[in-house]
Amino acid sequence: MTEQNPKAEIEKGVGVVRTLLTHPEEALALLGTDRYKALKIRLFFLIGALAGAPLLILVILGFFWLRATIDENFNNYLRWQMENTKQSVEIFLREKTSGLKFLVSAYSYDQLSNQRTLQEIFAKRKREFSDLVDLGVIDSKGIQRAYAGPYDLLGKDYSSHDWYQKVLVRGVYVSDVFLGYRQIPHFVVAVKQELSDPRGFWIIRATIDIETLTRLVSSASLREGDDAFVINDDGILQTPSRSYGRLLERIRLDMIPERRGFNLVKRQVANAPVTFGYVAIRDSPWILIAEFKSTSYAAMMDLLRRHMAALYLVGGLILIGIVMNYRTTRMVVNWIHKADREREEAISQTEHSAKLASIGRLAAGVAHEINNPLAIINEKAGLMKDILEFSEEAASCKEKFLPLILAISGSVERCRTITHRLLGFARRMDVKIEEINVNDAVQEVIGFLEREILYRNIHLQLNLAEGLPRIESDRGQLQQVFLNIINNAIDAVGEGGIITVTTRVIILPDGRNQLRVIIRDNGQGIPKEVLKHIFEPFYTTKEKGKGTGLGLSLSYGIIQRLGGTIEVESVTGKGTAFTIALPVRIEEGEKPA
Amino acid sequence: MKQGKVLIVDDEKEFAAALAERLRIRSYDALAVFDAEEAIQAVLRDAPAVMVLDVRMPGISGVDVLRAVKQIAPRTVVIILSGHGSVDSFRKDLGNAFFDFALKPVDIDDLRQKIDKALQAYEAA
Repeated sequence: MTEQNPKAEIEKGVGVVRTLLTHPEEALALLGTDRYKALKIRLFFLIGALAGAPLLILVILGFFWLRATIDENFNNYLRWQMENTKQSVEIFLREKTSGLKFLVSAYSYDQLSNQRTLQEIFAKRKREFSDLVDLGVIDSKGIQRAYAGPYDLLGKDYSSHDWYQKVLVRGVYVSDVFLGYRQIPHFVVAVKQELSDPRGFWIIRATIDIETLTRLVSSASLREGDDAFVINDDGILQTPSRSYGRLLERIRLDMIPERRGFNLVKRQVANAPVTFGYVAIRDSPWILIAEFKSTSYAAMMDLLRRHMAALYLVGGLILIGIVMNYRTTRMVVNWIHKADREREEAISQTEHSAKLASIGRLAAGVAHEINNPLAIINEKAGLMKDILEFSEEAASCKEKFLPLILAISGSVERCRTITHRLLGFARRMDVKIEEINVNDAVQEVIGFLEREILYRNIHLQLNLAEGLPRIESDRGQLQQVFLNIINNAIDAVGEGGIITVTTRVIILPDGRNQLRVIIRDNGQGIPKEVLKHIFEPFYTTKEKGKGTGLGLSLSYGIIQRLGGTIEVESVTGKGTAFTIALPVRIEEGEKPA
Repeated sequence: MKQGKVLIVDDEKEFAAALAERLRIRSYDALAVFDAEEAIQAVLRDAPAVMVLDVRMPGISGVDVLRAVKQIAPRTVVIILSGHGSVDSFRKDLGNAFFDFALKPVDIDDLRQKIDKALQAYEAA
């Protein structure tokens, strides 16, 4: 027993893995798959790479292009959404300021500073704009001269208030949001009107509820989770925010929005990509901010979901490609496999013929060498017999020796049969070429065997083609071959078997005609190991003394000399078929010597 | 003793001698020689009626011997003996220079018939 070295085992394993990475087909060969399978795998991946690489590049480029397009679309969409909101807020503010402007131009200071008139106007306005909280008229000293609204603010001095200072400078003013006396958030819109008399100017001031503003702003958020709100220049929330603080608190966001233009900022918030957009609202201290949780990726997924059919199509095409690749690969490799097999068969055929030829020469040589001593034994034994028969003095031993001598002669006779047949291999036979009808030749052979066929109750079927061309060949030798093979068939099928003899003409791919004689039996069949040696001399499976094992090898030699071929096919248990192919016309140069 | 001498030519001494003796037992005037030179000498000396000739011998071959015999004793009838299972190949070289052939190992009765026919042919010539 050998101890396995664990370290060596590990190294071996690592080696296999390394091979698998660098030369997959070799590793597969190591794993026991045959080289055609490895070739198949290699070819499959090669074709796949060749076809797939451009596709992959296209897909990657397409992906980037699509993402850029979708990003742009998404940004445009966000911008459009925010622009809309901004405009509606601006329209809302303009509506308020122009309302006041209308009042100051339509009514005189004297009319409006009259408490009753103002209250009438307020009541009318209030019906039209529900978010109007109160309306006040303030003189140039900052004293509220008339007031219409829920509070008692008549006579209040605003001269020190911030909004009063600003409206003096700007003429029209929108204030930040603040909590009024009743803790309700609202903002102020004020318009200054110049007077031609010494009183100088007066101011009309309206307090507006932020409810409408809040509603307008929140329409900027696209979907659940998004956030939209308004801050002022100091970063104080003017409308409530979902996640960045409550109304009138400082915004909990480390971003300093600019009042210039439209801006989109991409950020990571709580490990999720978020897009912030902000834009200033004109003629107000406000900046609209929106937070979009949805991203362009989500938009892309949306797009893909909407075009599921296209996705299925692409997937299906890829699948078809893979299947086609697999089939092509399999077909090509099978072709290669088949070509290899055919080549190997051709080589083995040649080897087989060469082997048979050399075995034949060897057998003939041996037979010749044995023949001479055999002749001597024959003569000496014959002489002994003669002496016993012709001289009287040996008569006493005659009865004892004669059977022995006859046994020797008998054995010599057996050897003689063998050596003479063996010598047939090397014999440069004179082939008697004549025009013959193969069907007639077959019929004649059948005639020899008729009695045995009848006796054994064998069904003989003759499928002899009519109008068979006469061929140039040696009748006697051909008949010897037919006799050998049909005899074998009779032995193979036994009682009640079927033997078929078929003749037909085949046109070869090169245009020449070939005559075939097929002798088929439904006997036991010949095992593969036996089939390999069937044309070798002395190879026999018959009982000792029943066959010399020379019949088929001689037949092989004869058919070769006649320029033909002899082949055998056999399926164990089903039967055997011998096919003898003969040229219809012997070509020049092929003529046997 | 039958009429006419029978000359056996074969380099296998044992074979030739035994065959000659068996023929003598059968009352033929048989003589065995073992090479080409002896064969020519015997033909010149005895003018045999029948010659049984092995075609393959070392030195001067049976074919040459046959040609020589046909020149010096054209009447002699030749039976070819072959250890090759066939004499087809010799037929081409020798044509009808020989009367008959026998294959080794030879059956004595078979050979005897051939010799008898040869003797008749010799007498008839």
